[in-house]
Amino acid sequence: MGNKITDELITTVQSIVGQDYSKMDVVRALHMANNDATAAINIIFDTPSFKRSEPPKSPRVSSRDPIANAPDPATRSKPKSVNHVVDDGPSTSRSVEVNVKTENEVVKEVIRSDKWWFVGCSEVAGLSTCKGSKIKAGDLVNFTFPPERSLTGPSPGKFGGGGRGRQPAACSEIVRFSTLASGEIGRIPNEWSRCLLPLVRDKKIQIEGFCKFAPDNLGLMDTINLSVRVYINSSILHKSHQTPLKAPNTSTDETSIHPLPTLFRLLGLVPFKKAEFTPSDLYSRKRPLDVKDGSGVSARLIHSSKTKDPSSNGSTVENEEIISDNDLDNIVGVANGSELEEMEPPAALLCDLRPYQKQALHWMVHLEKGPCIDDAATTLHPCWDAYHLADERKFIVYVNAFSGESTVEFPSTLQMARGGILADAMGLGKTIMTISLLLAHTERGGSLDSENNEVGNGSDQSSSSSKKVTKFSGFDKLRKQKQLLIGGGNLIICPMTLIGQWKTEIETHAEPGSLSIYVHYGQSRPKDAKILAQSDVVLTTYGVVASEYSSENAEERGGLYSVRWFRVVLDEAHTIKSSKSQISMAAATLVADRRWCLTGTPIQNNLEDLFSLLRFLRIEPWGSWSWWNKLIQKPFEDGDERGLSLVQNILRPIMLRRTKSSTDKEGRPILVLPPAEMKVIYCEQTEAEKDFYDALFKRSKVKFDQFVEQGRVLHNYASILELLLRLRQCCDHPFLVMSRGDTQEFSDLGKLAKRFLKGGKEAMGEGKEMPSKAYIQEVVKDLQKGEQGECPICLEAFEDAVLTPCAHRLCRECLLSSWRNSNSGLCPVCRKTVSKQELITAPTDSRFRVDIDKNWVESSKVSALLRELESFRSSGSKSIVFSQWTAFLDLLQIPLSRSNISFVRLDGTLNQQQREKVIKQFSEESDILVLLMSLKAGGVGINLTAASNAFVMDPWWNPAVEEQAVMRIHRIGQTKSVSINRFIVKGTVEERMETVQARKQRMISGALTDQEVRSARIEELKMLFT
Amino acid sequence: MANSNLPRRIIKETQRLLSEPAPGISASPSEDNMRYFNVMILGPTQSPYEGGVFKLELFLPEEYPMAAPKVRFLTKIYHPNIDKLGRICLDILKDKWSPALQIRTVLLSIQALLSAPNPDDPLSENIAKHWKSNEAEAVETAKEWTRLYASGA
Repeated sequence: MGNKITDELITTVQSIVGQDYSKMDVVRALHMANNDATAAINIIFDTPSFKRSEPPKSPRVSSRDPIANAPDPATRSKPKSVNHVVDDGPSTSRSVEVNVKTENEVVKEVIRSDKWWFVGCSEVAGLSTCKGSKIKAGDLVNFTFPPERSLTGPSPGKFGGGGRGRQPAACSEIVRFSTLASGEIGRIPNEWSRCLLPLVRDKKIQIEGFCKFAPDNLGLMDTINLSVRVYINSSILHKSHQTPLKAPNTSTDETSIHPLPTLFRLLGLVPFKKAEFTPSDLYSRKRPLDVKDGSGVSARLIHSSKTKDPSSNGSTVENEEIISDNDLDNIVGVANGSELEEMEPPAALLCDLRPYQKQALHWMVHLEKGPCIDDAATTLHPCWDAYHLADERKFIVYVNAFSGESTVEFPSTLQMARGGILADAMGLGKTIMTISLLLAHTERGGSLDSENNEVGNGSDQSSSSSKKVTKFSGFDKLRKQKQLLIGGGNLIICPMTLIGQWKTEIETHAEPGSLSIYVHYGQSRPKDAKILAQSDVVLTTYGVVASEYSSENAEERGGLYSVRWFRVVLDEAHTIKSSKSQISMAAATLVADRRWCLTGTPIQNNLEDLFSLLRFLRIEPWGSWSWWNKLIQKPFEDGDERGLSLVQNILRPIMLRRTKSSTDKEGRPILVLPPAEMKVIYCEQTEAEKDFYDALFKRSKVKFDQFVEQGRVLHNYASILELLLRLRQCCDHPFLVMSRGDTQEFSDLGKLAKRFLKGGKEAMGEGKEMPSKAYIQEVVKDLQKGEQGECPICLEAFEDAVLTPCAHRLCRECLLSSWRNSNSGLCPVCRKTVSKQELITAPTDSRFRVDIDKNWVESSKVSALLRELESFRSSGSKSIVFSQWTAFLDLLQIPLSRSNISFVRLDGTLNQQQREKVIKQFSEESDILVLLMSLKAGGVGINLTAASNAFVMDPWWNPAVEEQAVMRIHRIGQTKSVSINRFIVKGTVEERMETVQARKQRMISGALTDQEVRSARIEELKMLFT
Repeated sequence: MANSNLPRRIIKETQRLLSEPAPGISASPSEDNMRYFNVMILGPTQSPYEGGVFKLELFLPEEYPMAAPKVRFLTKIYHPNIDKLGRICLDILKDKWSPALQIRTVLLSIQALLSAPNPDDPLSENIAKHWKSNEAEAVETAKEWTRLYASGA
């Protein structure tokens, strides 16, 4: 088989049969005749209905039936003697091969071609539904499938059209069979119809059958033995089994019963290689689920057992032993990782690793190896079954026991997770551990895959067939697509703030020249995969990944998506926690051989956070939402602890988590940091401050009490938070309350312009004149340029300028006093009616209504801070000052400048380069003593060990955010003792917030029900207003 | 001194009027009352008032700029929107006043009014009637008055 049909042959045949037969007919005949010209001519002339319009349904005479003995080629070449043609239906004519050697069994050959593969045959016990009908052994039967819903078109599997044609609409699940002569005979068992029906409807399979035995006198409900042959449409197997990522919550996805595996079972196909991990494992284990025992499930799933210690490139391996099953338990029990092996870091790492970091390196290298490479390529993925089809071409089909997906591509363990979650607590040096991993082993992506192809084809007994398989079209396409991806190195994705730090850390800790780095960031970043693939390490941000993912056409994604990465590392991986978010999908779609998540908080809010990580890591089957939801999420939410224990079992082998209090084998803490002194500095308000605060508090409380009375507290949550915000700001400095609150909101000038234009449209409807678009743009441009201008009323520079909807700028005071009515009036410039609500505070450089510099007064908190800073001045010890409000940082700049304390500032307005510069300045310049930092901007990742004091100026609702910020200084690399100071103003809302923080912790931990949370929230708010 | 509590806006306006006067207009505050301005407007070219120099007085009330300035022609003028007492019929001096207007803009408006008399909204009925019934003759009268009362004085 497989000989080429030459043009010469075609011409020869055509010259004899004449032009009545098209070239395609001739080709088909030649194909059937195995390229024997004479035989082909015979086929053409001896087959009256040879010429037909449906080439794909050509009968294959050459087929060898594995059940019947293979007919010898001589017989086949004389089709006249063995073939007769039955016109068995009005729609299509089919040739039927009567094989003499199969004892009168009339086998209707369906379309045996490259497209339809014979799966297997089986006996089915049909039940007669008609009395007295005649059917005898050997009679061909046609199957009638109920149409979908009320559709009347013939189902694809409906052969012939005979029979009494009882309307099957009412019993939609029943598959009936009939003969040409007698019409409907009976039905097949539900078990069969259920799995046949969807497959036939989707044109995935075709079936044919004949009667094997039937009682002479047929009564109702008599058993009729049928022999059924099933053909599968090979095209469904040629899709990738790595299904494209789809939104994870489609309700139809819920079913875990897949027809194909069921059909295979009914046909008596036994997988010659069984999935090691199947749904029934889970179900069966679910009943008595013993947590300890359950660990075996995930252990097998991950294959971290049986791992041979690899001697990887350039790394020294301490231990060459094979890890025993006993050791497996230790690996599984990683949580208390003290028992983990250590691995010496590669020489290219220029710093020493602590013992626990060496353990992490060993663990990571192991997890990446998975089972030994040679085995990996030839070992069947534990979620997949392998079946031999009954087809004489010896096809092998792999079926996923979980998803029911099927493929002919060998699903090796290589497609399994290689990687995991490094979840060590903040400050333990996840970055350095990762760098040591990069140094220990870095190649280019795809190297594994090529091995896989070779080994996969040459290894087990299916080798010959799998070679054949690759010849079929469609199958190659996918492979080609994969090969189009260029093999790249390591891709590290991190928040924007951390890019610089990653770069510096790699540059300082890796031997020069050992890792080339490229930062893929910014507008002008190249899309050329070659550039990306050149570097050993590509650093990029989540934003860049998401934006390259969102390119409209998936094929044209390019950039990061045109590279097959050797390794992808997600730093602060909880960024992708929400599984429906674009960034989560984007990350999971990246093609990589090894995948890692670095995060100190693998679960931030919800168990669901983990799903996203597991999906990214390709921990099957948990990357499928239906399985995750069914076996973990739902049970967990319903309070069934089996959900949680299953998660623990999944995580145990793939997650490493140590905290600062973790201990090593000898019980010593794994990390000894210089002591940290936590201190709360309580401040007393001055009389004036107190008066101001009290006035503000009273006003706020009146409003709050109103909401309580109306029972609308939760409806006005936002306004209440605003009230609280003012009070909290007042604790920092009364000026903040005088700061113009809405400046922030509209400081984005683009937004401002949009609002104008929108407002313009609305007013248009009322037929009022609106400023032209060009004018508005002019105004916005002026604002952007910071054009000072003057108020048309007072003719002075603007003071607390507002913008009218007609885009005129005036001092708020001037405008309002020009109105007779306090809520609305005319725009003094254009006389358009304007209401107070429509006014927008124009963005300006200063966000304070008062000139803070001229009128500077220290608040008690500021005084306290200055005292502290002053005491550190002589020692040169550096401090970080955190506040939630950049306005407060603005204020703090005044006294710092006045007392000649040099400082730098880091907040959300800085871009990547500016941030790097600030951090570098602060770390390296000894005269800069203070870093003013906004709590949000400095939350994650940044290493600021140059400082030894932290001042948290204002309490934040969530103590974790505070902690995360403070941990920037109390971490590895810190050599001095550290002081952490929090400021609380006595007798104010700040003091009460401390109590709320404690409650909050309980709420976050999920200890309260929804109802409790609601009432707790009200309680909490009431508490704040006491 | 009345000047001591003069609003910044008035001082600014005055300075600007003096330093960069509008063409054809001069306005200078009185020595003893900074809210009182002596104003001269040249008759616009191609109007019946061409060649004339018109004196006006302008007073900024206490509420200025929230209220309009008070302006009056001192020079006799034959114009349908100006009566014999020199009072001016101009919307921005009444209900259409806006604090965004200034002395300069007011005087420019008055200058424009000279170029474009509006007999449909008259202050002086007789002149308006004259203007409507026989514009050429009315224009001649205006020219005559300009020559008589507004030349060079």
